[in-house]
Amino acid sequence: MDKPLVVLALPFAVFLLLSLAAPLRRRGVLAGWVSTAATAAAFVTALVIWRDGARGSLIVPWLPGDGGPMATVGLLLDGLSAPMLVLVTLVSLLVQVYSLAYLDDEPPRSLGRYYVYQSLFAFSMLGLVLSPTYLQMFVFWELVGLCSYLLIGFWYTRPAAARAAVKAFWTTKLGDLGFVAGIVMLWSNTGTFEFEALFRMAKDQTLPLEGLTTIMFLIYLGAVGKSAQFPLHVWLPDAMEGPTPVSALIHAATMVTAGVFLVARSEPLLVLVPAVLTIVARVGAFTALLAATMACVESDIKRVLAYSTVSQLGYMLAAAGAGAAAAGFFHLLTHGVFKALLFLGAGAVIHAVGTNDIFRMGGLWRFMPHTGIVFIAGTLALAGVWPLAGFFSKEAILEGVVAGGRPGVFVALAVTAFLTAFYMFRVVFITFFGPGHPHGDTHPPHDPPWLMRGPLWLLAALTVAIGVRFVIGAPGDHHPPVWLTVLSLALAGGGIALAWAMYGTGVIPVELVRRPLATIDFLARRRYFLDAIYGGIYRGLMLGFSRVVGWIDRYVVDGILNVCSAWSLRAGDALRRIQSGQAQDYVYGVAFGVLLLLVWARWWRTP
Amino acid sequence: MPGLHSYLVVAALVFAIGLFGVLTRRNAVGILLGIELMLNAVNINLVAFARLHGDPIGLLFALFTIAITVAEVAVGLAIVIVIFRVRRTIDADRLDLLRG
Amino acid sequence: MTAATAGFWAVAVVLLASSLAVVLTPNLFHSVLFLAVALVATGVVFLFLHAPFLFGVQLLLYAGGVVVLVVFAIMLTERIVGLRIRQSSHDLVNGVIVSVAVFVGIVGFLVQSGPAPAAPATPPPGGDQTVALARAILGPYAVPFELLGVLLVIALLGALYFARED
Repeated sequence: MDKPLVVLALPFAVFLLLSLAAPLRRRGVLAGWVSTAATAAAFVTALVIWRDGARGSLIVPWLPGDGGPMATVGLLLDGLSAPMLVLVTLVSLLVQVYSLAYLDDEPPRSLGRYYVYQSLFAFSMLGLVLSPTYLQMFVFWELVGLCSYLLIGFWYTRPAAARAAVKAFWTTKLGDLGFVAGIVMLWSNTGTFEFEALFRMAKDQTLPLEGLTTIMFLIYLGAVGKSAQFPLHVWLPDAMEGPTPVSALIHAATMVTAGVFLVARSEPLLVLVPAVLTIVARVGAFTALLAATMACVESDIKRVLAYSTVSQLGYMLAAAGAGAAAAGFFHLLTHGVFKALLFLGAGAVIHAVGTNDIFRMGGLWRFMPHTGIVFIAGTLALAGVWPLAGFFSKEAILEGVVAGGRPGVFVALAVTAFLTAFYMFRVVFITFFGPGHPHGDTHPPHDPPWLMRGPLWLLAALTVAIGVRFVIGAPGDHHPPVWLTVLSLALAGGGIALAWAMYGTGVIPVELVRRPLATIDFLARRRYFLDAIYGGIYRGLMLGFSRVVGWIDRYVVDGILNVCSAWSLRAGDALRRIQSGQAQDYVYGVAFGVLLLLVWARWWRTP
Repeated sequence: MPGLHSYLVVAALVFAIGLFGVLTRRNAVGILLGIELMLNAVNINLVAFARLHGDPIGLLFALFTIAITVAEVAVGLAIVIVIFRVRRTIDADRLDLLRG
Repeated sequence: MTAATAGFWAVAVVLLASSLAVVLTPNLFHSVLFLAVALVATGVVFLFLHAPFLFGVQLLLYAGGVVVLVVFAIMLTERIVGLRIRQSSHDLVNGVIVSVAVFVGIVGFLVQSGPAPAAPATPPPGGDQTVALARAILGPYAVPFELLGVLLVIALLGALYFARED
């Protein structure tokens, strides 16, 4: 178990080095290369681990307790964590390389800070993946949340970024409250945080089922926050205020999938509580559909991708809820690759044209052929076109949902698949083939430097390679029913065709489609008013609470002090009158003192 | 030969009269005179006890008291004169600059 | 009643009467003169107590020095103000109550302590106590005595400083 430890220790060492060695950090680019080199080493080690197929766990006592440790820490390497290690280190590595070019105009100081956060994130995410206990997972869960907060607010001087960071933090914390309550309740029921012990108990049917529904639902709430499920999905689109590579890494490929990972990890426990599974599936499907509709009307390229991420996360969780956690996890991995590709591609576009608005891009295919090719590859994969990676994972999910006997969820996911193809190709047609915009002759947009192009091509190649690998022969040679394959291809093709007709050629005017769907269009453009409602609640609660606190501070705390001071003043004013300033009055005082002494000596003194 | 108590009672009376003077006189010099009477009463006590015990130390302290009283009178009268010069009065009622 | 006792009471009456006069006369100058009488009467009381040296000191320092000082002070202030100082009293009732209370307290204390031990009928050997007093001053009490001298000098300088014309 020393290799996973190496994978975990490398980013942490870099984090410590960069945070403590200020001169190195302030060199910026150098710090970036150090971090990248360590991540590359971690990636290679993770690949070795994955290829070895070594499995096992390492448990070390942590918190002492009566009769054995109360909590343990350690590493758990199994079929879930090994591929995740590869995904996390791979995307981390590519994003770090990409960032060197993407953030080249940052001052060295803040670039160094960026890589401190990056290495801390890599460490935290790897720790989360390798956690053998719920408690350790929660610790790293919060650490990745912290990194997300720090990186969304990387440009903290922008008010929008600072707000988005706080919003992301708050919203995910709401789910985390459930998560921590759930694992504590689980511990009080079973006495352990360890996955393997819990799964053993689940298998032996010695796990106390009482209250398990509540517990698992609470744990699932953590996933709702982290994986941006309805109704806590609102933070993810706003999180796009961070640098685009961050969005690719944290808010598409790795951290947001932690919720899916959690659900997949907890599957042996979740199957014991069908009610929670139903909720997971329905909420996932609903989120997928809801986010897809919002993505269809969004004009900010990063936000389209963000809604797409929300939608795909809903997909994964719907699969997990329908009992096909493996399919959901598979989609997590493929999605991690091609969504990172899409985000990095979008980053290249934004880097080139300097805006996020797709309607102000247009005709970029001529200027940025490399970017266009890889972006279209990623889009095809996300739309689920054979033979790319997304096709197989999406099909696996649909199959799993059918097998799980959830027709409602299946319909929602099928519609989502159609919408996914539509909105992604809407972006492609508008951005790369739409009417060109004058960009100025001096600085026409161009493909990014090779530091950015390399990761893009690598991810694109991977997206294709994974698909080809499954074309050649899926492991176990399992084939889904033909109607499903046909249906999913038809949905993807239909979506692409509609997008082509509306935005590629203009055969179907946009208005023609929009008019019958006016209500949905209206609502989707306003994000179903959820942000406004939450904002209102947040403001109401916070401002109301602040008002109450302010009132207490002003009238109770200050009031007590004011009363005290007023009384002191009044008492002093009263006592002041004793001091008449007239010597004879003082002599009266002395005389009374003498009298008191005499009286005391005469009557009270015991001889 | 009158008994010790006679001296003490006379001294107490003088003391009370002096106190009365201190308490009631408006004039600062009058107050000083009252203080003189009180100190005198103390001296009578001291000397009476010295006689009772046949010890000259009582006399010694009476002597000290007298000397200190002279000093006190000198300083006190100087202060009275200064006050008089500044405030144009030695009426103790109106010397209330220290009033709180 | 022996002659000594009768003489003592006579002096005591003079002392008390002149003391009352000190605190009651409206004329400040008269009250100083009555103070002189009271001080001389006190000196006579000292004589009754076989302390002739103290009688001398009382006469010289007190009746002589203090009274002259006060008279000077009165005349100085009168010169400054330019009018004759009348003095009056206030809060007579309060003063009487407190003074009587103090007196009663002291006497009550005397009553409680019972009859006094009889004083030695005759003065100690060596006539009066002046010799013993001198030995005490020049012997164990030399330092306080010298300090007293310093105090007097300081008082003199202080009085000069306060009262000087500036």
